[in-house]
Amino acid sequence: MKRYVLLALAILFAAIYLFPVYWMYATALKTSGSIFKYPPELWPSQPLFQVSRVFAEHDIGRYLWNSLLVATGITAITMLLGTGAAYALANARGAKANVALFLVIVLQVLPPSLMVTPLFVAFNHVGLLDYPRTAVVLATAAKTLAFYIVLCRATFTQVPRELKDAALVDGNSHLGAFFLIILPLARNGILITSVLVFLQSFGEYVYSRSFIATRELQTATVNLATYLSANSADWVGLMNYAGIYVAPILIVFILLQRQIVTGLTSGALK
Amino acid sequence: MMRKLLLGLVFSTAATSAVIAAPVTLQVWALDEPVHFTENMAKEFEAKNPDIKLDIKLVNFANILNDTIRAVSTNTAPDLLMLDNPDVASVASHDVLLDLSDRIAASKVVDAKNFYPGPINQSTWKGKIYGFPRGGNTLGLYYNADLFKAAGLDPTKPPQTWDEISAAAAKLTDAKKRQYGFGFSAVATEESTFQFLPWAQSAGGDFNAINTDGSVRALQFWQKLVDDKVATPEVLVLNQPDLGSQFVAGNIGMIVTGCWELPRFANEVKFDWRVALMPVEKAGAPRASALGELAYAVPKTSAHPDEAFKFLEYIYSQSSRDWNEYGWLPLDQTATPKDPKWPEAYAVFAEQMKYARGRGPSPVWPKVSKAIQVAIQDALTHKTDAKAALDTAQSTIDGLIK
Amino acid sequence: MLQSGFARYLRDGKGFEGTLIVAAVLYLLVFAAFPLLYTVLMSFQEVDMFTLGTLVRPFAGLKNYTDLFQRPEFAPIVWNTVIFVTLSIVFQLAIGFALALFFLQDFPGSTYVRGLFLAGWILPALVVGAVWRWIFAGDFGVLNYALQSLGLIDGQIYWLSDPAYALYSVIIANIWLGIPFNMILLSVGLAGIPGDVYEAAEMDGANVFQRFLTITLPMMGPTLGAVVALGVIFTLQQFDLVAALTQGGPANSSNVAQYWSWQMSFQTYEISGGATVATMMIALVIVVAVIYVRSVQREQSF
Repeated sequence: MKRYVLLALAILFAAIYLFPVYWMYATALKTSGSIFKYPPELWPSQPLFQVSRVFAEHDIGRYLWNSLLVATGITAITMLLGTGAAYALANARGAKANVALFLVIVLQVLPPSLMVTPLFVAFNHVGLLDYPRTAVVLATAAKTLAFYIVLCRATFTQVPRELKDAALVDGNSHLGAFFLIILPLARNGILITSVLVFLQSFGEYVYSRSFIATRELQTATVNLATYLSANSADWVGLMNYAGIYVAPILIVFILLQRQIVTGLTSGALK
Repeated sequence: MMRKLLLGLVFSTAATSAVIAAPVTLQVWALDEPVHFTENMAKEFEAKNPDIKLDIKLVNFANILNDTIRAVSTNTAPDLLMLDNPDVASVASHDVLLDLSDRIAASKVVDAKNFYPGPINQSTWKGKIYGFPRGGNTLGLYYNADLFKAAGLDPTKPPQTWDEISAAAAKLTDAKKRQYGFGFSAVATEESTFQFLPWAQSAGGDFNAINTDGSVRALQFWQKLVDDKVATPEVLVLNQPDLGSQFVAGNIGMIVTGCWELPRFANEVKFDWRVALMPVEKAGAPRASALGELAYAVPKTSAHPDEAFKFLEYIYSQSSRDWNEYGWLPLDQTATPKDPKWPEAYAVFAEQMKYARGRGPSPVWPKVSKAIQVAIQDALTHKTDAKAALDTAQSTIDGLIK
Repeated sequence: MLQSGFARYLRDGKGFEGTLIVAAVLYLLVFAAFPLLYTVLMSFQEVDMFTLGTLVRPFAGLKNYTDLFQRPEFAPIVWNTVIFVTLSIVFQLAIGFALALFFLQDFPGSTYVRGLFLAGWILPALVVGAVWRWIFAGDFGVLNYALQSLGLIDGQIYWLSDPAYALYSVIIANIWLGIPFNMILLSVGLAGIPGDVYEAAEMDGANVFQRFLTITLPMMGPTLGAVVALGVIFTLQQFDLVAALTQGGPANSSNVAQYWSWQMSFQTYEISGGATVATMMIALVIVVAVIYVRSVQREQSF
């Protein structure tokens, strides 16, 4: 019985927490007049499906594809550089390791909106702006790396040292022990942290907006922001676009969420 | 990469005295929502000029000046960009925009005499024209005639003075229905400066005389509307589009906003709505209104200034469509719309345009405007009183424009 | 097989791990250190709108700093930032921790429901800001409607336009955004505590609260350190929400350092002033990072 009370409580908490997401979809179905009504319509009285209008007005597929490419690139670089560093920092002791960890944290301090100008200047100087999506990937990966390292480091600290020592005794090199023993054990943690990084990168805005000058290469967030301009505020359109935009992520996420959460919370060794 | 290739191409063809007219792609940054003006014009222009392509990147209002500055500082500016009209002077004063005066003088399409004086003055810095206005817009008083009738007001006699606004607003306010009598935008951006200056100007103030008695009375008037709850406190965060949406929803009886809202209101408003001239302080006081609209500008670094100007000429040649299709007054005064849509509104705005005054021009306009925005917000939230707030703004502005 | 010096270096434990760390740190130095140094440099220079592309500009000494301290809005914005960071962290942590503990219990569907809390993680900040703006709207917002229906308030609260509430509205939205991150990290930490420790304590007769205080909290020390350190940094980076909800207003009542820095740099083009604020934020985060690194050292002593 207690278990079902807990479940009911859990669902109640989730419902409260998810209200803003519901509100996004509810607003998307309202008319531009009815969103200003008081009392607010908790459920749109005359739901109006404007998804096709938004699709017609914007080449959403193309922009989502760009977002996908950028997010994939960011995740790949983050995994490539972050996994090893997280593992090493989980083992390392001493002043040098502390300095490394310190740098990883400190170098994240400024929001992209403040980093973007210096990066723009530097990227322009070395010609990176000719490859705008690459520029976005490189700049954003420097933002996601700290998060990835801190989370993955926690996973690696859960791999018992004895396992690695045993592998070394068996004649593996450190390189071999890492790839053959440690990585498979920490696989869940790595994959899940990567999924989280991917989801975050999919919403990247500031760098994409500033580095990508060609319209065909722009990401969906940048396209979404065109809804908020000087002389119009098409909130319903914005919510529709946002709804379309997050739908694939939500679906993937709902399919994967069990793995994500169990993978993260059951530790590295399952 | 492409840019450099194209640049190289242009230089090499120039060296060999350009035998073939290579197709040119113009990089264009446009602020185009919601009417897609630049995009529509570009399509028509490309159809007529197959050797010129326009690659349009949409930018949003909050970022146009930043993007321009960053691009110009790093030599990555497009061939054509857009600026809000008070910012043209700020950018031009740094000698980074192409002076269009000679091209305009030589043009067979553009006749400088026909420009509305307001917009072109805003685009001029030290006697040279650096901006090419898309058109002109100005503010007016929109009111909900159905609410007027319901409140016992005569919809054929809209309020014309501040006192009449207060009185009508009080009658139109119904707190239970969350209905307010009057609305304006005091959001902490350029929009509040744009909205406030006409009130100050009508009482004898201006951006460089912002703490005169008249300016103080104007700010006190705004303050009182909010204190009396005939305007929602949300004016502090409402931008003009949201203000317009509230009017469309029937939540506000009268609002001050620009003529650019006409196409939307005509589409969406379900009640009898009308437009009147901006109110003045007292009967017989000078009329004033704000002057808005974006201007195109060609950065000095553009490799294709002639093609860019050709596109501007095309835009100019289509001026007579501006009102009916886009809701703003044409750049070319002589291009009066045939059979204007919303004829009453057209009469009001064409009249109002005569009293429209620019902001600046000043090379430090963003800072001047910020000082005014701070004063407005400080006074409306009663952080300080209107007089003290405007005194502070005045001393800041004096320090800036000397 | 592996003969070369470098290969041997890689095979050796220290060398291999050192290389991994150096690669990541180098990447960060290239792509993140430059913008930081550039910002610090600008805080000691006179910067004009169009001199962004060069590093050589007139030296200003400490003038940007003294100018900044004399601004009337300096003290209120610093105070707002302190409130913003402190309340965001405290509530994100408390709610995140409570949820992590709650979902640690055994009940059907617990992992499914817990996954739903990642929503805040998935939505782009731009969208989150827009949605919360609607929820907070003073005249027709659903939050006021809910509070009135529950009889908690009489009139409306102007969440975004009343200077007394604006900052707290941004904080509430930011807490919502930060809960998933806190919950996940803390869940990972909780999962790392061996169950037999609890069983032993239970046999010793320790009740729930005693167990929490004597086992959970101490063992969660390092995780809490990481969560707080990253939380402070994420909170200091929270820009989109302020921009979408209040733009720092009304009358700076919800303005915080990161937004102020942006306003100075990109609205009024007092670029040196903006860089000076950013530099002070960097100094603050250096302190936070030192605390985090020390908490990690404690973790290693287990």
